[in-house]
Amino acid sequence: MSKLSRSKKIKVIRKKLKLRKKKQKPLIEEYQSKLIESLKEIRVPLILLHFSMSIGTLGYMLLSGGNFIDSVYMTVITIGTIGFGEIVKGSETPIGRIFTTFLALMGIGVFTTSVTVIVRLFLVGDILNLLKYIRMLRDIEKLKEHAIVCGYNKTSAWLVDALRRRRIEFVVIDSREEALKYVQLHNIKHYIAEEPFRKSALMAAGINKAKYLIANMEDEAKNIAVIVTARLLEPDREKLFIYSTAPTDGIAQKLEELGANKVIVPDKLIANRIFSYMLHEASGFVSDLFDRIAYGEEAELEIVEVKVREGSTLASKKLKDVDLRRVYGVTVVGIRRADGSLELTVSGDTQVEEGDTLLILGSPSNIKKAMSFYREVIK
Amino acid sequence: MRLKKIMTDFFILMALTTNISFIFSPNPYELVITVIANLTATILKLGEGRILATEMTASSLVADLHLVPAAFIYFLGDIQEAVSLAIGALAANIISILLSIVEAIFSYLSEE
Repeated sequence: MSKLSRSKKIKVIRKKLKLRKKKQKPLIEEYQSKLIESLKEIRVPLILLHFSMSIGTLGYMLLSGGNFIDSVYMTVITIGTIGFGEIVKGSETPIGRIFTTFLALMGIGVFTTSVTVIVRLFLVGDILNLLKYIRMLRDIEKLKEHAIVCGYNKTSAWLVDALRRRRIEFVVIDSREEALKYVQLHNIKHYIAEEPFRKSALMAAGINKAKYLIANMEDEAKNIAVIVTARLLEPDREKLFIYSTAPTDGIAQKLEELGANKVIVPDKLIANRIFSYMLHEASGFVSDLFDRIAYGEEAELEIVEVKVREGSTLASKKLKDVDLRRVYGVTVVGIRRADGSLELTVSGDTQVEEGDTLLILGSPSNIKKAMSFYREVIK
Repeated sequence: MRLKKIMTDFFILMALTTNISFIFSPNPYELVITVIANLTATILKLGEGRILATEMTASSLVADLHLVPAAFIYFLGDIQEAVSLAIGALAANIISILLSIVEAIFSYLSEE
């Protein structure tokens, strides 16, 4: 009976142990484990070196009658091929010389091989790379309101360039060898060499503190996996903005339903862009100007959208009451109403309603001030 | 894996027993053997990533950092200080042994 209950207890403990094993480790811990495990490789050379040193020290101690410090010194100068002479008492005797001969024959080889192997492991092997990688993951942990770029291809490279110009911190996640080659070539400061749809990879990229996530994988299925995983980790669409690309409108719609804030269809975007040039055939200035402002390429101007949420202090106020132009030097150039209509003839008497989106134009620094005021005071 | 466990446990125990022997009757050879056994146990534990193994590596390193200076201090003439350091290392050795026992129990339970 007692044997039965004992085996039951063991089973319960085993179950608990197994459950613990299933829990996924954070990425930084995975790499720390890898670093510790890579130390296994220095075990054999270290043991060989340690035994040579031990045999030498004990041997010379016996010869000299227990002089430890001189024995260690004599062993080091013998196996380290320094050879200052027979320092230890008793080493000049025939027995001492026989011992030194064997120690040198065994120890010199062990010493040179061990030192070479250890130095190579630290400098050429994984240890230094892993240390650098762990440090980078720690740096990523400190990021806030950054962008996470999943998949590194030509589009991502352009995007990263734009993010750099606007000084928005970003983390690239891609596990493909060729992508990682370009990541290093383009001096990407923060990257994670893992599959972007892995929960631990997104957590390590700081998804809970990030503002944007761009699912830009070559494969639609992978984009879906990234979007779904990201939305599971951060369900608030107003906190984490997910952008992606899709080959057709139908897929784009599905991705938006799955959790993406906006999905771009590249072919459609190119067609619209060409058409915009056709509309302004005299010169491409107008099309380019709006694009440059919207894409942040116009250094002096920036346009942002501010959504007037339910219960916001901006609601039911006239624009002249808010007076953003005088206080912050930014202008409300248009309002997209809750019903989708666009009002471009705004004046001081235009009233702001809940659900409206204000289009605010101004210099980047003024926009930043106005936005922080909006976030902290108005809401 | 079993052979490695025997080797590691042997060196941890060897360090513990010779350390106790040195504390009760200070002898230069015993101290040197304690240092050698303890350093061997530390090297054998290097690279073990499991939680208890890392704790054991840490406690072994603590013992090393007590014993190596103790060896030099002993041969520089301050036997009392060397014995004090060896007592400090003894505490770390006991913790190593306890962790080794706990690890053995855990591996027994997961294999049963």
